[in-house]
Amino acid sequence: MPAAPPPTLAAWLRTRDDDQLAALLAARPDVARPAPSDVVALAGRLAVPVSVDRALDELDAGTLQVLDVVLLAPTDGVSPDEVVAALPDVPGAVLTAALTALTDRALLWGDEVLRAPDPVRRAVRHPAGLGRRAVDLRVQLPADLPAVLDGLDDDERQVLERLASDRPVGHLPDSAGGADSPARRLLQRGLLARIDALNVELPREVGLLLRGDRPYGPPRLRPEPAVTTRDPQTVDRQAAGAAMESVGRIGELLALLEEEPAGLLRSGGVAVRDQKRLARELHVPEPEAAWLLELALAAGLLDVGGPHRDEWLPTRGYDIWREQDLADRWAVLAAGWLAGIRLPALVGQRDVAGKAANALSPDLVRHTAPTIRRSALAALAEHPPGAGLGADDLVALLRWRTPRRADRLAPVPGMLAEAARLGVLVGGVLSSGGRGLLAGGEDGAAAGMRGLLPAPVDHVLAQPDLSLIAPGPLVAELADTLSVVADVESSGGATVFRVSESSVRRALDAGWSASDLHDFFARASRTPVPQALDYLVDDIARQHGRLRVGAIESYVRSDDHGLLSQVLGDRRTAPAELRRLAPGVLVSGLGADEVLTVLRAAGYAPAGENPGGAVLTRPPGRPRAAGRRTGSEGPSAPRPLTPDELAATVREIRAGDAAVAARRGEAVRQVPGVTTASTLELLSRAVREGTPVWLGYVDAQGSGSQRVVQPVSLVGGFLQGFDERRGESRTFAVHRITSVALVEDDGAPAPA
Amino acid sequence: MSDGPLIVQSDKTLLLEVDHPLAKECRSAIAPFAELERSPEHVHTYRVTPLALWNARAAGHDAEQVVDALVRYSRYPVPHALLVDVADTMDRFGRLTLANNPVHGLVLTSTDRAVLEEVVRSKKVAPMLGARIDEDTVVVHAAERGRLKQALLKIGWPAEDLAGYVDGTAHPIHLDESGWNLRDYQQEAVDGFWAGGSGVVVLPCGAGKTLVGAAAMAEAKATTLILVTNTVAGRQWKRELIARTSLTEEEIGEYSGERKEIRPVTIATYQVITTRRKGEYIHLDLFDAQDWGLIVYDEVHLLPAPIFRLTADLQSRRRLGLTATLVREDGREDDVFSLIGPKRYDAPWRDIEAQGYIAPAECIEVRVSLDDEERMTYAVAEPEERYRIAATAQSKLPVIRRVLERHPDEPSLVIGAYLDQLEELGAALDAPVIQGSTTNREREKLFDAFRAGEIRTLVVSKVANFSIDLPEAAVAVQVSGTFGSRQEEAQRLGRLLRPKADGRQAHFYSVVSRDTLDSEYAAHRQRFLAEQGYAYTIVDAADLAGRGEVNGPDWVDEPAD
Repeated sequence: MPAAPPPTLAAWLRTRDDDQLAALLAARPDVARPAPSDVVALAGRLAVPVSVDRALDELDAGTLQVLDVVLLAPTDGVSPDEVVAALPDVPGAVLTAALTALTDRALLWGDEVLRAPDPVRRAVRHPAGLGRRAVDLRVQLPADLPAVLDGLDDDERQVLERLASDRPVGHLPDSAGGADSPARRLLQRGLLARIDALNVELPREVGLLLRGDRPYGPPRLRPEPAVTTRDPQTVDRQAAGAAMESVGRIGELLALLEEEPAGLLRSGGVAVRDQKRLARELHVPEPEAAWLLELALAAGLLDVGGPHRDEWLPTRGYDIWREQDLADRWAVLAAGWLAGIRLPALVGQRDVAGKAANALSPDLVRHTAPTIRRSALAALAEHPPGAGLGADDLVALLRWRTPRRADRLAPVPGMLAEAARLGVLVGGVLSSGGRGLLAGGEDGAAAGMRGLLPAPVDHVLAQPDLSLIAPGPLVAELADTLSVVADVESSGGATVFRVSESSVRRALDAGWSASDLHDFFARASRTPVPQALDYLVDDIARQHGRLRVGAIESYVRSDDHGLLSQVLGDRRTAPAELRRLAPGVLVSGLGADEVLTVLRAAGYAPAGENPGGAVLTRPPGRPRAAGRRTGSEGPSAPRPLTPDELAATVREIRAGDAAVAARRGEAVRQVPGVTTASTLELLSRAVREGTPVWLGYVDAQGSGSQRVVQPVSLVGGFLQGFDERRGESRTFAVHRITSVALVEDDGAPAPA
Repeated sequence: MSDGPLIVQSDKTLLLEVDHPLAKECRSAIAPFAELERSPEHVHTYRVTPLALWNARAAGHDAEQVVDALVRYSRYPVPHALLVDVADTMDRFGRLTLANNPVHGLVLTSTDRAVLEEVVRSKKVAPMLGARIDEDTVVVHAAERGRLKQALLKIGWPAEDLAGYVDGTAHPIHLDESGWNLRDYQQEAVDGFWAGGSGVVVLPCGAGKTLVGAAAMAEAKATTLILVTNTVAGRQWKRELIARTSLTEEEIGEYSGERKEIRPVTIATYQVITTRRKGEYIHLDLFDAQDWGLIVYDEVHLLPAPIFRLTADLQSRRRLGLTATLVREDGREDDVFSLIGPKRYDAPWRDIEAQGYIAPAECIEVRVSLDDEERMTYAVAEPEERYRIAATAQSKLPVIRRVLERHPDEPSLVIGAYLDQLEELGAALDAPVIQGSTTNREREKLFDAFRAGEIRTLVVSKVANFSIDLPEAAVAVQVSGTFGSRQEEAQRLGRLLRPKADGRQAHFYSVVSRDTLDSEYAAHRQRFLAEQGYAYTIVDAADLAGRGEVNGPDWVDEPAD
């Protein structure tokens, strides 16, 4: 064929080489799954508005400006040189890259002459921030436009210039008199078009005239924000401080929830009352408590549980977490936060109905959150260690990168603040832990932070004022013990415990003896145990146990003491393990039902009693929520296509294309999932005549294939047939068939 | 990871490991912006409060120095958020300044219009402000200077007071340092006070606070009003001033229930100033009787509320507060700071003890078991009666006697709060009793006899809590007190801390009824003493060894070495 320019997108796609097609599929993976049957199908998918929007969303402002040039060109089709000429302020390399990006994504096509497919034109509502043409807006522009514009007074001109700058659509002001606002005067003169009751649009011609020699607006070059630099070591130290703080706080929070779970609201989330309580007990402001709750949830350490699934409890993951070393514990928090689909910063913000969002409530879920978080941190990670960006600069950069998604960037400052609280970020600079987190997930984060966090200590300093000071993070075992025998007074780098009458009593209640306590203090303390502490222990121990409380499962009582003696003496009741507690009361360690059974078997006629007054033992084990597996809630973004998959898909498209080109029979093409009458007609004809058909088929895994099938029967929505290429007989669901064509004997692809 | 002596806690307390080689250096670095909260044996606790940070700013320290000190001495990484918070808090100071305007008098000016707007709109502050001169300046009613500062502090925008002080009527005063010298820490305290203009000096009892006052007067060289807790304390001040300064008997007036003299230096009691007749304070004109150049508040932690209000009107005069402890059981420490002035000097008790300026003291709590009858009485008593019953139990008497027998040659005080009990003890121990109704003449006579060694044991009520100089008292036995008051504890211990002629140790006993409210309150006091760094021992009455027995006080007559 002569080198005539391809007339259509599909034809142009056919001229692309395999690498270019692979690049297209990689850049727009949504068109690659399931594999399109051929180039025409591919072109069809590329035209789907959702796909176009998605592709445009990922382009930066500079690339979009280049696209605008093509879209605004008076003729369909612009040569690359014309594009270059239209944007004189943009460096050539940037333009070339932008054009490559656009053609790679098939948002522009053609080699000599660049064309924009119609769906792309429709997807960009206001190219270069200009309105539609006057014709499309159905306004009659004044004949001598420049003269009219010159004759405008200042406030009218201001209105026009505002509309000409970035967004051609504006609200009509809500003025009562109405007739005399500048916008209304402009409407009357036909310089603005009314598009609905409230909004007006500036016709493109007016906009262009106002912009003068820069019809596309100022060049949208990548912003080069001032880079913040900090000493990487200082950053890491400060990050480690924040990390210790977070890990410590989460530990305290969950210990509190273990003692007294927070209730689950009917609307989900945690009650403000509980949040207040936690804030009070942790000595933190309320928003901080909300953040900690959210963080614990994101890290999988907190979830709904309890016998009625109505309370917030530490998960089993918490038990594992608290045994880990500091760096790993931090990594769990950081990774949970990065992948979390919730926006903790929204806690307390009011929705349109004026209702404030509770912590942990489902209202906070934003599925875009992980992507935004990652893209924000990734932008920071492009800087070398010790360098970063301020929040405003980062937002500006992200806005440039994805201008069509700028509305999604609102949570970014909040996310950056959270990152700083965690120690991922310090003053706009990523810490080593933060870089590790981005690059290597949880393990990377732990590796980045390890070495910065202090090693756990295994001793305390006992002081005469009955405080015990743990001069660093404690080994888990000692921390557990101390939480029984002392109360935490202040936490942070160190922990200050206080031994009080009640804490000693608690330890004795938990089964410690006075000498155990003496031993423990002597062993755990690196300083001599103060006499007052020993005295306190002895003094409490002396009083302890003057009242005795025991746990029994059941009792047998009767006013007839003789009967009770008989029961106690009866050999047949021995399995009930009864003993006399007081005259008139026998007790047993067995459950009431068991005792009842034994007594009944022995021929007595006991009656059960309501256990209202019975002493119950503590429930075995601490309550735990089942919890999710951490990390199961990963980002929902599709897995990128591997090079092998890309190559295979390209090959399939080419094969399909070849098949289409080869056959003469008419093909019936259809949208997957929709079975058209013509498909069925074609298939039944093939069954009837015993002719092989060419099938485009999507299997249950969503991968597409082309097959040549010798049909046998068509029953109940299933096509039975022999797949000649694969040499097997199988069943095809009709609704998964994407295209059908009869293969006519001579031109049919040779069976393998 | 560095190995500094300091650990920064999330709640902004700082733990300082005392035995660390850098501890001393670190202490002086953090002292300007952190309040010493507890100083037990191994680890001292400091607290960084907004007030302390603002005081540091007022004293010319900036946020960078504070952050640097925290980071440099911290053993562990300091959370960035905490540092940011510190910087933010400090940044709030000085946005507003109080200054004298040549035309409008006292004005509040701001470098930050938004802050001034906020303040002007505040309901609490607005009434104290006058006309707006321009966008950044607003007139302040001169009489509201103190209250305005207090109110601004409460809403978190402390004003820097640059309005200065009036000099008062000049009066020559100088120290008469013959045979003695101002100690280093006293000099530092005076310097700190003078440089700051107004403020509070915290020194343990017996460390010579009166001399700090005298030295401040010598610095001011102006007429001085000294406010003290009671007449006896006032006379003691007078004696001390005559002995240590150039002032003579005639220059010092006493303004009390008994005498109403106004002289260049006037000593008045809190009581007389707060006396009311028909709802009016009748002695207020004392403050205007002279153009005072300095006002000294002795035992500032006891300052009664009416004097707070009066003090608010005295903001243009230099004010010196003296106290052993800023603990106020009513929690009005902040008012002391905002009205008298910030803390200008503070030193751990044990440091001064180590320098030999106050006597070392041993604190012993003796627990007495009540007999069955007393336990029953206690158990059935009304809640408000319980403490009295426990504290005045008869079973304490033999124990008190034994305690005194351990130290037969030492001048001893028995301190209690209940008059019946004191009378009984006086009779049983054959010792004179001093209490509220004892006349001043009688008190002075007994104190003199005690100082001279003629009386070995005195039984005193809480009148002796304050400002009574009994340098020879070496043993104190407290039998009952004002609930768990830590401040009272400090005062009582203070009675013993005047250094002894031969450097002996002092003994501070508390006799406490076991398993009652009495021992609960004792636990409070115990904690306070331990936090001050005192060794504290608890013994059962039965185990209280006599002289020469194992664990007994054998060092009384024969020093160990």
